[in-house]
Amino acid sequence: MDLFLNLVASGLVIGSVYGLIGMSFAIIFRTTGVLNFAQGEVMMLVAYTAWTLTHTLLFPFWLLVPSTIVLAALIGMAVERLFIRPMTGQPIFAIVMVTIGIAITLRSLTTLVWGHEFEGFSVPFSGGVVEIGPVFLLTEQLAVLILFAAVSLMTWAFFRFSRVGMAMRATSQDETAALLMGVDSRRMSSFAWAISAIVSGLAGVMVSVLFARAPDMWHFGLKSFPAAILGGLDSPIGAGFGGLIIGVIGELSAGYVWNGLKEISGLILIIVILMVRPYGLFGEKELERV
Amino acid sequence: MRTGNHIESYPRHIALSDNPVVWFWLVALMAAMIVLPAFSGLFVLGLAIRILIAAVGAIGLNLLTGSTGQISLGQSGFLAAGCYTTGLLITDYHWPPELALPMAGIVAAALSFLVGIPSLRLKGLYLAITTLAFSFIITQFLLFAEPITHGPYGVRIEDTVLFGFDLADPTTMYYFCLGILALVTLGVLNIMRTRVGRAFNAIRDQDIAARAMGINLTTYKLTAFAASSFIVGLAGGLMAFQFRFINVDIFSVTLAIEALAMIIVGGLGSVAGAIIGAVFIILLPEVVGDAIGLLPAGISDVLSRGALEIKGLLIGLVIILTLRLEPDGLMGVWRNMKRYWSRWPLSV
Repeated sequence: MDLFLNLVASGLVIGSVYGLIGMSFAIIFRTTGVLNFAQGEVMMLVAYTAWTLTHTLLFPFWLLVPSTIVLAALIGMAVERLFIRPMTGQPIFAIVMVTIGIAITLRSLTTLVWGHEFEGFSVPFSGGVVEIGPVFLLTEQLAVLILFAAVSLMTWAFFRFSRVGMAMRATSQDETAALLMGVDSRRMSSFAWAISAIVSGLAGVMVSVLFARAPDMWHFGLKSFPAAILGGLDSPIGAGFGGLIIGVIGELSAGYVWNGLKEISGLILIIVILMVRPYGLFGEKELERV
Repeated sequence: MRTGNHIESYPRHIALSDNPVVWFWLVALMAAMIVLPAFSGLFVLGLAIRILIAAVGAIGLNLLTGSTGQISLGQSGFLAAGCYTTGLLITDYHWPPELALPMAGIVAAALSFLVGIPSLRLKGLYLAITTLAFSFIITQFLLFAEPITHGPYGVRIEDTVLFGFDLADPTTMYYFCLGILALVTLGVLNIMRTRVGRAFNAIRDQDIAARAMGINLTTYKLTAFAASSFIVGLAGGLMAFQFRFINVDIFSVTLAIEALAMIIVGGLGSVAGAIIGAVFIILLPEVVGDAIGLLPAGISDVLSRGALEIKGLLIGLVIILTLRLEPDGLMGVWRNMKRYWSRWPLSV
């Protein structure tokens, strides 16, 4: 039983990371209909920038958080402005291919600038151990869980109550109607990229605190696809909780069945899910005209 | 001035090419390829072998993604499956290489049903993710199923003699790959001008409309998956002879993206485009590498240390720029040039 609880706890921790990245997939997909294959790379770039802020420029932690958020937003907006905006009006297939191109470009650029070394990322709250009943958690693992809860709550509130969030939902439902109501859909797309870069950037910082700031961090982007699919690509909160489920399933299958399953159990799960429900568990079936 | 290319009969419409000039240059190109090993060093020959194998793989991917419109990010999984099939059959089960190579294609095609059948209901993005997931599962299997696949230790292939020709010799390998590429090119061109090929294109353009016209989506999508995977698996089998030592690291996501870059740059849906794309993507890093060597010593040292990153950077930028500027790729550029030339006074 102790093993089970500990596996679930570590599953929730890694699942929070998947969930945050899944959320950022969903934010872009919901607003613009584009699946951003470069999400993992955006995350990596933000994490590397934050690492430089802490370890080279020696920012204190209270300054690191807001500056990372601002930088992430700028990175997201820049990517959207440089590569996605000029593709407006092209078929979705072409835009998705462009995000694949962005992915490999950003990945190479990051390793070109920062090199291949693994580096630790130290934050003031790391290193302690928290004991909750039979479950042992590192303080940074607990921090990931708290971050996930906070970001989920803020994303939900943002889309539910804020003016911009509502405008983004309107754009996703009917772009023409939203335009007629005075919503600038291009600005919404830019906002979506900025917000999703912030969410995945925070996840990236936590990944580098948990493991290391490493040149293969972008793998987390691919591993979070199952989260986004499971929860529905058009629901950020759903994608977040999808991440938790995928994380727990991954840890449990690795702990009880076979170690090799850790990385792929989520992938197998979504193949099965997509077989039964081709538009995701909570996604809506699209009607198509010929 | 030509008024246009008037095609008046059906046989002429489906002919591979009705233009004698095309045939002339094709024969000239073939002749040049055949005499190449006599004039080139080992480095050029190695590069040529890489291009030939990449072209076989790109044609396979193009059949599925370009011609049938099923975006697949998982063909590197089939490449790995083909490569390991050939390698393991020769090394562990002592099959003759003559049989192990076609088995690469057959095993990959059989595996393609595993991903093809669940994918029948999927479209676009979801299909792309499923195929990506599938290629991950294959590489993870290869890495962890150590009793079957040697896991992280890789496979060394000792027996490379096919029909009395030793493929460890670069010249023999070159001619062998050239032959396979010619066969695959001819095969795919012929598929594309039959009922099956036209059904593929109809599915790409609008699958619901295609279905309404009486095209069985299940059959044709699975055929496309199987045919494409067979060719990709064959390319994988050739890679086993090319490297003679294989492990999972070769078949990364980057390889899948490189393959995608080849067909996008060349021009989606065109066999010639796939070949040109393969040539372009393989040669681009080499040419740029040489260009970097010409820069002042300080800069070129820094840049050549990051050769792998620069290659990735170039491939990414090439994908982005092609889609932005000329979605039809190099074949589109060529078509525009031809139109401009042949209709000169009236061309825009």
